[in-house]
Parts: sequence; structure tokens; C-alpha cells
Amino acid sequence: MAAKIKAIGVYLPEFVLTNIQLANDFGRWEPEKIESKLGIKERHISAENETAGDMAYYAALKVLANYDKGKIDMLILCTQSPDYFLPTTACVLQNRLGLKTDLCAYDFNLGCSGFVYGLAMAKSFIKTGIASSVLLLTSETYSKHIHPNDLALKTVFGDGAAATIIESSDEEHIFEFILGTDGSGKDNLIVPNGGFRHAYNPLSEEKKTDSDDIYTDNNLFMNGPEIFNFTNDAVPKAIEQCLIKNNMSLDEVDYFIFHQANKYMIEYLRKKIGIPKEKFYINMLSTGNTVSATIPIAFSDALNNGKITQGNKVLLCGFGVGYSWGTVIVEV
Amino acid sequence: MKKNEFVNQLSEYCEFENNNFTLDTLLKSIDEYDSLAVMSIIAFIDENFQMKLTGVQLRELTDFKSLIVLIGVDKFEND
Repeated sequence: MAAKIKAIGVYLPEFVLTNIQLANDFGRWEPEKIESKLGIKERHISAENETAGDMAYYAALKVLANYDKGKIDMLILCTQSPDYFLPTTACVLQNRLGLKTDLCAYDFNLGCSGFVYGLAMAKSFIKTGIASSVLLLTSETYSKHIHPNDLALKTVFGDGAAATIIESSDEEHIFEFILGTDGSGKDNLIVPNGGFRHAYNPLSEEKKTDSDDIYTDNNLFMNGPEIFNFTNDAVPKAIEQCLIKNNMSLDEVDYFIFHQANKYMIEYLRKKIGIPKEKFYINMLSTGNTVSATIPIAFSDALNNGKITQGNKVLLCGFGVGYSWGTVIVEV
Repeated sequence: MKKNEFVNQLSEYCEFENNNFTLDTLLKSIDEYDSLAVMSIIAFIDENFQMKLTGVQLRELTDFKSLIVLIGVDKFEND
């Protein structure tokens, strides 16, 4: 049995945080400069009582509006902001979405590589006959991890969710994967407190980044230079390996959708790898970096505006927290 | 590349508005020196010297001269 991406639904929270608002709040930088460098003008932020589970639910409703939900026999949710330690948010969503109970459901904890890993799992379950119609949810609320006075991270990250249906198909549309991991980078993108290694500490001391942003160990911390170094090393190699494994050349790929980390970073990667500008997706202007949701949001947008069409071979590449990365070529 | 050219080219690459910097200019004294500028420095050094600078090395930088020392003085022509 083979697999294909059938449909994608996207949900973005209602509240929009603009660069102008951030500039007014912090009085530190020019909104236009940030937009031109990072490619982000605004980002959506989840309401205080709106969780990744809620956002995944709304994204799922969108994609299921035109799909027989009785066919869904597997539901996987990628998030690093689950509703509870337990139970599994995917189990909660099975009931909330009114999906059948003879269904496999679980969460997995990955960040920016999550969508590609989700595709790998969906393909594997379909190929082995365990499932035939998979609802892959990628939903993230990093805003809840970010310290209110951390301008750099508030600028980069937005909240968002996507729901993707992957179903069995006569011909393979999801080709070979390259998946990678390097846990030596764990400290460079981390929320140290809140798990069982270090409990949440309301008295955690405030620290300052080199850019004078404030954070504590209860918050998201990102070592930007090290993440940039990691992507510059790992991504070009992963792309090369993926092309070799799929027996394809760079020219044979119709379109490239990378995790939308920020414009500066992915534009640098594009040039380093030698991908033509017209074949490379960059659009995070109104969403920012939505972590595991960026690739399906981009894929959906590229489909809607005709940048990719039926029959196109599209290379997807996710990379980030872990470190973890994944690359695959899919046919639309 | 001469050391003064390096200062000018790097400043232009990082889009620092004032371009009258010297080897002794402290990086942290530059208005636009932020996390984006640090990413630009990594990219510039990678492109021009095929070197990877770590976060720790970058945090320890003081002035342009310290960056030249890190890259290796022997990689520069005499001014």
C-alpha cells in the first residue's frame, strides 16, 4: 500500500501581534527593518485559555469539513505544549472530534522537524496496513513558554496549527525520508523547567540575553547563533542525502518548502544549497515561526496560490529543537 | 583581505548604519549589534573564511580586532 497527502486545514488564533505593537511595547527596534530581515510582519498568539489541543481541534474541523471523518483510523498530534501531562491530547481529540474508537491515537513531542516525522509515521502505518487514513495534527503555542520581556523570541515565534490527512493510495506520493538527530544541541533550544528533571520554579531568577532580553529557566531559551550553525551544517547535508536516496537531482525537484524559521536563516540556506529563488517558498509574513505547523501552513498556501500544482515533486525539510531534522520528497 | 577592508565589508554586510568603525570599535557599542547582527557575522565568516564560529566564541568577542584574532591574523593582508 502507498500513501499520499490528501488535504490540509490551517488554524491561526484570532489575536494578531504586529511588529508595530512590539516596537511600541519595547521601544528598541524598527518594525520595517525586522520585517525586511526576518520576513515577519505579524504573528498570531493563542488566547490565555486556548491550548494547542484547542488549535489542533479547529484545524481538524477545517480539514474534516470536506472529508468523511468515519474513514480516519489514526490520529497523531505533534506538539511540545500538550494540554496535560496525561492523558494524551490526541486521545482527548478523538472524542472531541467525534472520531470512531477503533482508531490509533498518540502524541509525539517534536518541534520544527515534527511535520516530516509525522509524514514518516503516517506513511509507515499505511504501508504496513495498520492504518489507511491518518489525521496528522501539528499544533504549537510557544508564546506560552516565552517570557513577556523577551523581544527576540516574541518577534520570531507565532502560534498556529495544521491538520493534514494522509491516506492510502495506489501509487506512492510520499517518497524516501532522511531523518536525523543530534541531542548534543539540547541546551540551545530548551524550556529547562517544568518537566521532572527540573520542576517549574515560580522563584526562578531572571536572566538577561546578550540582546538584553529577559528570561528565566521556566521560559523558552534559544541560542540563536548555535541554532544557525546547526542548520548551516545539518540542512545542506540532509538535502543532499535526500536527493541521493530518491535518486533525484536538485533540478528535478519542482519546489522546496523548508521549515519557516525566519527569512534570514532560510534564505541563507537557499543560497548555500543553490536552490533557485523561484522554486523556494518564503512566506511567514503574517504567521512568524509556528514551529511544527510552518511546513503544512506553507504547503497549503503554496497549493492555494498555485505555486505548486498536481504532479509537482516538492521537497520538505524541517529542522530545529532537539536537534532534530527531517527531509522528504512528496508528489502533489 | 586587509583588516580595514574586513571592518568595512563586515559592517556593510551586517547593515550597520555608521560605517566609520575601526579595529578598536567595541561591537556591543554599535546600535544595531543584536542577535540578527550576530547571525550576519556567522554568515559572513562562513562565506569568506569557511569557518564556523561557536556561540561561546561570539559571546567573548569585544572589538573587530578580537574577531580578526579569532579568524587568524595570518588570513589577512597587511594594511
